[in-house]
This record gives sequence, structure tokens and C-alpha cells, in this order.
Amino acid sequence: MKKSRKSAESNGTRVDPVTATVIHGALESIAIEMGHKLMRMSYSSIIRESEDFGTALTDPQGRQLCECKMSTPLQSGPIPGYVRGILKTLAERGDKVEPGDVIMHNDPYGGASHGPDIGFCIPVFLNKKLIGFSVTTAHHLDVGALTPGSCGIVDAVDTYAEGLQFKATKIASLGKRNEAVWQILRSNIRAPELVVGDMEAQIAAAEIGAARFKSLVQQYGEKTFNGAFEDLMDYSERLMRNAIAELPDGEYSATTFIDGFPDIDDPKYHDLPIKVTLRVRGDEIEVDLTGTADEIPDKPINMPLEGTVDCAIWLTLRSILLDSVKYGDIPQNSGLTRPITIKAPNGCLANPNFPSPVIARFCPGNQLADTLMKALSQVVPEQVSAGIGNLRIVAFSGLNKGEHWVHMEILEGSYGGRNGLDGMDAVDTLYANTRNNPVEDMESHLPLRIDCYKLRNDVAAAGKWRGGVGSVRQFTYLADGGFSIEGEGHIYRPWGFEGGHEGTTGQLKLVGIDGNAKDMASKVPYHRMSAGQSLVAYGPCGGGYGNPLERDPEKVLADVLDEFISPEAAKAAYGVIIRDCKVDMPATTQMRMQR
Amino acid sequence: MKIIGVDVGGTFTDLILCDTRKSRVFTYKIATTPNDPSDGVMTGVSDICRLNGVDPGDIDYVFHGTTTATNAVLENKGARTGMITNEGFRDIIHIGRHQRVHHYSIMQELPWQNRPLVARRYRKTVPGRLIPPSGEELVPLDEGAVQNAARELKAEGIDAVAICFLFSYLNSAHEDRAREIVQAEMPDAFVTTSSHVSPQFREFERFTTAALAAFIGPKVERYINHLNRAMRDAGVRADLRIMASNGGVATPEMVTSKPALTLMSGLAAGVLGGAMIGKLAGRKRLITFDIGGTSADIGIVIDGRLAETDARSTSIAGFPIILPMIDIHTIGAGGGSIAHIDPGGAFRVGPQSAGAVPGPAAYGNGGTESTVTDANIVLGRLDPDNFLGGAMKMDEERSKTVISRLAAQLGLPPSETAEGIITIINANMANAIHSQTVQKGIDPRGFALVALGGAGPLHGAEVARQLGIPEVIVPPFPGITSAMGLLTTDLKYDEVRTQFQNSRSVNISKVNADFCEMEEKLIGQYKLDKIAASKVSFRRFADLRYVGQGYELKVPMPADKLTVKSIQKVWDAFHKAHRREYGHSFMESPIEVVNIQISGTGKIPKLTRFEKPSGTSVDKAFLRSKPCIFRVDGKLREFATGFYRRDLLPVGKKIKGPAVLVQTDSTTLVPPDATAKADEFGSVVISLGKAK
Repeated sequence: MKKSRKSAESNGTRVDPVTATVIHGALESIAIEMGHKLMRMSYSSIIRESEDFGTALTDPQGRQLCECKMSTPLQSGPIPGYVRGILKTLAERGDKVEPGDVIMHNDPYGGASHGPDIGFCIPVFLNKKLIGFSVTTAHHLDVGALTPGSCGIVDAVDTYAEGLQFKATKIASLGKRNEAVWQILRSNIRAPELVVGDMEAQIAAAEIGAARFKSLVQQYGEKTFNGAFEDLMDYSERLMRNAIAELPDGEYSATTFIDGFPDIDDPKYHDLPIKVTLRVRGDEIEVDLTGTADEIPDKPINMPLEGTVDCAIWLTLRSILLDSVKYGDIPQNSGLTRPITIKAPNGCLANPNFPSPVIARFCPGNQLADTLMKALSQVVPEQVSAGIGNLRIVAFSGLNKGEHWVHMEILEGSYGGRNGLDGMDAVDTLYANTRNNPVEDMESHLPLRIDCYKLRNDVAAAGKWRGGVGSVRQFTYLADGGFSIEGEGHIYRPWGFEGGHEGTTGQLKLVGIDGNAKDMASKVPYHRMSAGQSLVAYGPCGGGYGNPLERDPEKVLADVLDEFISPEAAKAAYGVIIRDCKVDMPATTQMRMQR
Repeated sequence: MKIIGVDVGGTFTDLILCDTRKSRVFTYKIATTPNDPSDGVMTGVSDICRLNGVDPGDIDYVFHGTTTATNAVLENKGARTGMITNEGFRDIIHIGRHQRVHHYSIMQELPWQNRPLVARRYRKTVPGRLIPPSGEELVPLDEGAVQNAARELKAEGIDAVAICFLFSYLNSAHEDRAREIVQAEMPDAFVTTSSHVSPQFREFERFTTAALAAFIGPKVERYINHLNRAMRDAGVRADLRIMASNGGVATPEMVTSKPALTLMSGLAAGVLGGAMIGKLAGRKRLITFDIGGTSADIGIVIDGRLAETDARSTSIAGFPIILPMIDIHTIGAGGGSIAHIDPGGAFRVGPQSAGAVPGPAAYGNGGTESTVTDANIVLGRLDPDNFLGGAMKMDEERSKTVISRLAAQLGLPPSETAEGIITIINANMANAIHSQTVQKGIDPRGFALVALGGAGPLHGAEVARQLGIPEVIVPPFPGITSAMGLLTTDLKYDEVRTQFQNSRSVNISKVNADFCEMEEKLIGQYKLDKIAASKVSFRRFADLRYVGQGYELKVPMPADKLTVKSIQKVWDAFHKAHRREYGHSFMESPIEVVNIQISGTGKIPKLTRFEKPSGTSVDKAFLRSKPCIFRVDGKLREFATGFYRRDLLPVGKKIKGPAVLVQTDSTTLVPPDATAKADEFGSVVISLGKAK
């Protein structure tokens, strides 16, 4: 297979189309194998169940060759940034990558997504020449921050308070493990067994990727391989350019708000605008975040431009303009992002300065994705959903015989209605796509009781296509412990679209042993809990899409029977009259005419 | 003993009849009757008996692979299903794992939300709650509430009910009691419980499996009863045995009680057929490779044992199933796969397929796109005049026209395009095999590939070569291997119990007690099935993981009572399995026993051999020589290629590639630098030369 087939010049490609397709398939297999092994080997549920990990191969410059389909977009997406950050840091230090290195990196001002997402990067050499990197990233349960867990660290005043920082740290050098680093890890991380096990799993998966990568390049030769890779990037780029070219040129802008910290009086801490302006010119698009709130130097909801903001933008554009349902699995690589320029003024929430803290950037980032979708809704109304319900992440923790237990759970949001489809109920939204943990698993391994896990009744946002429905989950402590939480969407309702109603905000209640409930904000720093106390999380419900009066009355009836909406709402919002579990068509027609 | 295997496929119903005392087998093919597949089955059984002078009354067993359950799910045409579950947990099957199917899609649908197996209005909740670790009762079951729920469901016209309570895998008392109450209220309904269907942890997956069972239950029951009756009416007194997804067969009673067992009924038999062929040829490590018109199914067999999936990897129509199941990996690659240029300009083949209608352009049924079959025709590898033994005429010109059109778009010569289609589809298949082997720590170079299906023998050798697999075995009737596989099965039942025990504090007597109880349950079952105790054997397994992990590996357990000493060997075996599968082990970490499983096998009569081929010389088998195109040393070349009648090949005589072996149900390609010879069991073994 080494010899090239008929020249590909006639197609403007470097490699013939058959060899290109075969190499692309092989690359995809490698990334999947890495993900498969990492997910199955890892210890903490945040990786193995929530699938909050990424695997990818890059070229020597950090350009992404392929990513694992199972991994979560916000983990694979930043990998090129990790590699560039590592290369830059090493160069500044007068160091370089060498065979046998395993490099650990989590510097959010050096390409990493945020501190808990630690990358392990293995350089791949062929005949002593660097041909690329095999990289895995994963969210770790604890990185030695001020309170247990690695989410809800909403009190961190700078990046130092967020936990250990690794800036291109060689955890193995020339094939020899650097035991000192491992000792520091074990001494500074709560639940070290889990975290260190996960790190070992990450390294093992990256090693497999490196070996496969090397033999693939050997099989085809560097020239053919590189040609196929450049073709692959061109291919993804071409798809994105074609999709952008179909959009009318112009400027489209949208603003949404995040809660921030409503309990702090100072207005610069709460009700913060996120503004997105899209400028479409030909087959290129500029995403301008001017107008977004200023960075907050002492609260960790700033979003690293590289690793969070760029990924949020790329992933949202691709999900809308190159929706997998229509376009299939397009290779995710650096070509896809070439037609996209991002402009974020330095000093705004979306382009903060070191050492402003960033550890809780997840939910603002997802809100940025939602705002981008809102701007795009003016251009491609048939390819978007109405406003999404944002997420919240909670870390449960406690001490058991002097040893920490930590468990992270992502509390799902929901989608807004879509053209021809109701919103997805109780799912992760936009740039996140993790999994929950089974009730039977949690109760078997943690001192928690799950009292309920269900959808909210009678709250779906009205629309021709209704908004998705949020969940209710209640957790009761069976032993003393604590939790911390980071979230958004307790104040601002998901936006309705083209006459669809606004959605419903999320809520969080703390229920005491006496049964009294107290409302909590979307961000709660570490909070002690006694056995018997409960946390109740109500998920947000996405916005409605289109005029509710145009909704098929039979669908309205179905929603009433399924208790997604009340009979009163059927009448008030949809103008549908239901009698004896049937639609009263004459009364409905009349009612709708009067509106 | 006379036995019949009947496999219902999408287009054809395949039959095979054999007398276990002789080695002669008879095969037969009839069009599938989609409205009621049992019509085709019955006609086929009558026909094959009549054509071969066998009295239907003399048939002892009819083994049957059915797609009734699978199709009910795929077409979303099951029973109107209700569910009774815990208060507070009405929407477990609707929320799922709160994960979307696609990362990058706004317009996607979620199967469990867009096509719920049980609509929310039919999901009733009742007070009652069990808790871990032992299934202790926290809140007693509210029997009045169960009764009310059953009455409501009855009034709503529900035909099937799944009763699903949390932690029922630890203690089925609440589910069992609720079932009694519901059955009393709804005597005509199909009622099942999640612990009956699959007593394993993970509520979304277990509840969904139970809901699937209820959804298909009434249909499967009707089908089996109807078929049983029709057999009696036709004078067939044989016992009916139904293929199950675990690689064994089950009695009609078992299948109507646990219909979810048949969800992968159709697929499982192919792997068994391949396993039998490999065994006859004396090969211990096999990859079965079954290619039809739209998909390729891949199975792994080691030492006669079929690889089983883990609890988290099986789904149907997007719904997860947790049941012991043989591991079959399916990809969208077959003879009908369409070659095209995608919107980004890349050359792709599949997963879209022209299917049976319109089928490849060569069929002349209106197909206008280039398919894999068309590419094979253009390259000369399929004989247009002798497809399906001449039963179907193919139009070579149509293939050339569509391939030339695609070639013009690609800027490649037509022959390069046709060969490119084959290279790409073969690479897709090789990647799929890679994911089932190399990715799981298995080196395919020590395996033989068993090529099955209408198109498997056409692609097997080139796919094998890509993976470094040294030989390909082509069974006597590759196109009806599923029907043949049915004749090689045993009565196989599994029991599973979730344990959640830690290696540092393991309660061995509990494990032993659970194994005993499970074994007794199965012994009772085999007694009911009239299988003598001497014919029954058991194998024990455990699903293990390091404490904290979320995926288990299946490890064999000692057949006798577990001791402190023997369990040490189990831990060692787990470390080893983990290292093999993932390339790493954590020797210091404690291990968790998640599930224990016992698999019972009740031996039944089966097909064990084939007649020795009667061909006398290669010359007699020779049909003609025709030019075929192959890539050698990176270049396309035309070779004069011998076409032979497969059934006339003499045993043990080498045929040098390139060669094409034709038979009514398949075509075998022997590429240049490979050789083929028929063995005494009727298989053809292709030995591959060095990779080029």
C-alpha cells in the first residue's frame, strides 16, 4: 500500500482519495481505542460514567489529527491548545520534548481548559524525528484546591487557590518516572487512590495511541501520511466554509446574562452580560465578544480564551452549521476552525489575565455557547433550538474513617424547542455531553440516598415546539459531609424563540432535618451537611419555539396526559380545550381564532 | 435423529435439514413472508421434507432463528406497554443517562424520548423502597397502590406491563408481589419484572430491558404459539427450539417468559455456524465475518467459546439491553453499500445501502448508484451470468455506467474507482475487526477468518490480508450459515446476580450460596425441559473491576466451591485479563465482584460433520477463464482468472490465485499470491501469501 495510487492532483488533494479515506479511518480507530481504554480503565465516575475526558492525536505543531467520538467535546477540543502551551512553556524554559517523555499540563493560561482537566502528552518519534503527540485529558476529582472536589470552588481568589498547577511538567523523562512529582500528587490530593489511578489510566491510553500512531505512519510513510492529514484538514475546512458561505453576509448579535454572584452587592459580580456579534463575510465568520462583562479578578468564573471560549464557539458553530444528523461524523480537526476568527477584548470575562481564577468557567462557557446560538437563530432559524437550560455541577464529599470520599455529579439542563421537534428533556446541553450515575451505583458506594429522580411536572415552556423539561433530583446525606456547587441559570430564564415562551430557571433547595427548605444560589462554596439533610435540585426547562397557538392540538393533549403541562396551561397558552381526555376541536378552533 | 434449522432473514428464509446419524445435509431457500414469517417457515419445512423424501412426522427438532422481536423494536411496533415503578422514579427510562446520542447536533432525536417504549402517562408510581447493600426494605410496598395502578392501566387498554423497582436485583420481593397483584387484575396482559428479565444493577438499562421485554412480549408469544400450532397442524411433532441472543437455544416456554432473549436471535446463529466450521477445520481461534447486502457482522470464537459482550455495550434501535449476549459487532458495510462523494469531497463507501430493493445497479431494478457489488462486477470478480447459481441475471453494462460516472467525478479511471470502492469497504471492515480484536488485546494474526454470508467469501481474503490473518475458511454453504448454525446449538441458560463485594472483605460463603441457588434454579429448568442431568454442564463467571472502576471484565470462576485459596487465582486472572485488554493492571488495587454468572448448557443432538466432497479433479471443476483486475505491487493489473464450480473441487488439491469459486449461495475470491483447497469437511481454506 505504500505506493501511491493514481495521482490526486486533479482533485487538488495531496493523496489519492482512496488512500486518504483509508488513513482517515485508521486515525479514527486509534482515537476511539484510546478513549475506550481510558474510559474503561479509569476509577472515578467523572471519567468513566460522565465521560468527561478527551483523547486525540496531533501533529508536531499541535494541530489535531483526530479525536475520540466517546469523549466529551470540551475535553478533546482543547487538546491542540494543551500541546501548543506545552511547547511554548518548554521553549521558554530552554527545554524540549524527547523520546520517553510523559508531559503533564493543566495551565489554563497555557492552553489548558481549567486546572482539574489535566492533560498527559506523549511525544511520538519515528527515526528520532518528532512526528506528533498522543494526548489524553480528563477531569480529575480533586486537584488539591481549597475545599474537597474540583467543582464548586467558587471562592477561589486566584489560580493558586484552584489547586496544583502543572506547567509542562515532565512526569516521566527519557522513559524514567519522576517519582517526586507522584509523591507531591499523593500528598496534596484528596482521594489520591482514585486520582492517581485515573492518571495512570490516562498515561496508559496515551501510550497506546502513541504506539498505534507510530505504526500507522510507518505503514504509509511520512509523506503520504502527512499528505492525507493535510487533505483531511482541508476537507473539514471545506465543509465549514461551504456551510458559512450559505449564510447571508451581515452582522448578527445577541446578548444573554449569567447570574454571577447575586449575594455580593457590588454590581460587577452579578447579572453579567455575555454578548456575541457574528460577522459573516463570504465563507468566513468572525465571532466578536465585545460587550461581554469585564473579567472578575477574584472570582473563578472567568473563561480562558484558549481551551474554553474557543471550544465553546467552534463546537456550537459546528453543531448548528454541520449538524451530525445531516452531515454525519465530520472529522473534528484543526481544519474545521480555520474559517472562524474569534475576537475577545483582553480583560473581559472571555479573555482574562493571569492569575484571575477560572476553575468554575464551565457554566459561563455554556452560556456563551447559548448566546452564540441565539445570534445564529437570526440567520438559520431552522437549525437552532430556543434557549437551553444551563447545567450545574456538584461535588459531594465527606470523611470516612479519616479518608476522603468525593463524588461529582453533573446536574442536567434541557434544550429549547426546535423546528419540527420538541426540546430534549433532562440532558446535558451544548458543549457538555456527560452521563449521570445510576442511582443504584451511587447508593451502593456513597453515604447518600437518592429520594427522587424524575422530570418536573407542568412546567414545559409553551411553543409550537415545546421546550424540554428539566429534572428533579433529591440527595439525602446518610452521614455528615458536605457539598459545593457551581451553576448558572437560577435568575435568567432560557429564551423563547419566534413566539415561543421563555423557559423556567433551575432551582436548588436545602432541606433541613426539620423539613424546612431554603433556596440556594446557583453557586454554593463548600457547605457542611449533617446526616438527614437533603439537597434538592430542580433542573431548568428550555424555551419554547414558535407560536404555541400553532401547536398540533393532539400534541398538546399528549403533553397534558403525560403531565408535561397542565390542562389550564393547555387552554391559557395553547388555546386548546380538553374534555374527557380528548381535544374539543370546535371549542379549540374558536378559542384560537379569538387570540 | 432428524433436525431442521430455519433462519428467517429479511429477504430469504433459509432451511437446512440433516440426519445426525448421517452426514448428508439438505438446504433450501424460500422467500420470507414478512406479514407472518411463520407462513414461510411452515412452507419451507413442508417443502424441504417433501423434496428430500422425509416424513414431517419424523423430524425430532426444529431450531428456529426469528427476527420477530428485533423487528418489533426496529419498527417500533410493539405492545401498548405500561410500567409500575417506585414513587419518585417515574422517568428513569426517559431521562436515561442524560446524555445525547450525538455530540454535535441540535436536531437529533433521542430514541428513549422520541419513541418511548412506555409513554409517561402509562408509567405509574407506587410507594415502596429497597436499599443496598442487601435489599433491605426501607418503605414497604403499597399493595393498594399497585392494585390501583393495574386497574388504571387496564382501563387504558394496556397489553403488557413491566414492573421495575430500584434494587430489585438484590431482593425481588416487591417486584414479585406486585406482579401477582397486576396479573390478578390483568389476567390477559403480559406481565414481567426487571429482576426476572435481568437482575443486574444500573436502573436505566435494567428498566429499559424490562420495558423492551414487555414491548415485544405479546408479539413473541403470539408468534411462537402460532408457529407451534401450525407445526402440529402440518403433522410436525418436533420440539421447537428458538435461538437466543446468548448463543444457545431456548424452549418456547422460556422464550415466552423471557422474550428479550430473542432480541439478537437472528445474528447469533451465524457466529455459531462459523464456530462449527472452524472446529471441523481444527482451528481454535476464529473471527467470523458475515457479510450480507447491507451489513457485516463480526464475532470472535476462542477455543469453541463465543465472546460475550459486557453489560454496557449492547443496544437495539438505540435502547440499551443488559443480558448475557454474544458479542457481535455490526457495521454498515455489505454488497449493497453505496459509493459516493460526500459534501466535503471525500470518497466514501456506505453506510448507506441500496438494500435488496432497488439493490445494486446491476440488478436492473432501478438502482442508479455505484455499489460494492457493481465494483466487483466491473473488476470481473462476480460473474454476471452466474449470480446465485444463475438464478439471478446481472447487467454488467449498468455497473459499468454507474462506476464510470463516479469515476468521472473523482477524476480516476473506472478500474481505479472500482478497485478503490473495494479497498475502502475492505478497510472499513478491517477497522471493525481491529476494534474487536487488537483494541481488546487480541492479536488477529493467530486467527483464522471464517467468511460467511453471500459476500463474506468475496472480501474475506483481502480483509484478512490487511490484518495479517494467515487464512480464510469458507464453509460449504456460506450463504445459509445462520440456518446451519442453528443445528449446532445447545440449550443454554444464564443466571446473573449482582454482588458488589470487595476483594479485601469478600464474603465467600455468600458467593457460594448464590452460585448454588442459581445452579439449582437452572437444574430445575433443565428438568422441565426434559434434559437428563448427565447432559447438563455449568460454567461459572464473575464480572470484576478494580474498586472505583465502572466497567467490568468477565473472568472464569472455579466450577466447585470457592475457597480462600481458589479466589486468589480469580484475582490473579483478573489482573491478567485487565492487562491483556487495556495494556495495564493495578496490582495493588482492591477488586470488586460486581456480578456472578452461571451459564448452563444442556446438550442436544446436533449437526457435527459434512459429507466429504466428491469432486475428482480440478479440471472437472473448471468453468472458464476470464480477466479480473487486481492490485499487485501498488499497480492495477489484469489477470486471466480461473472460475471453478465449488461443489466439484477435489479434496486437498491446491488452486492458485487468482481464482473465483462459484456456488449458488455465494462467490469465493482467491486473490493473486493466495492458494485455496477444499478440505474433507466441505470447507475451502484460503492460505494467504505474503502481504503486498
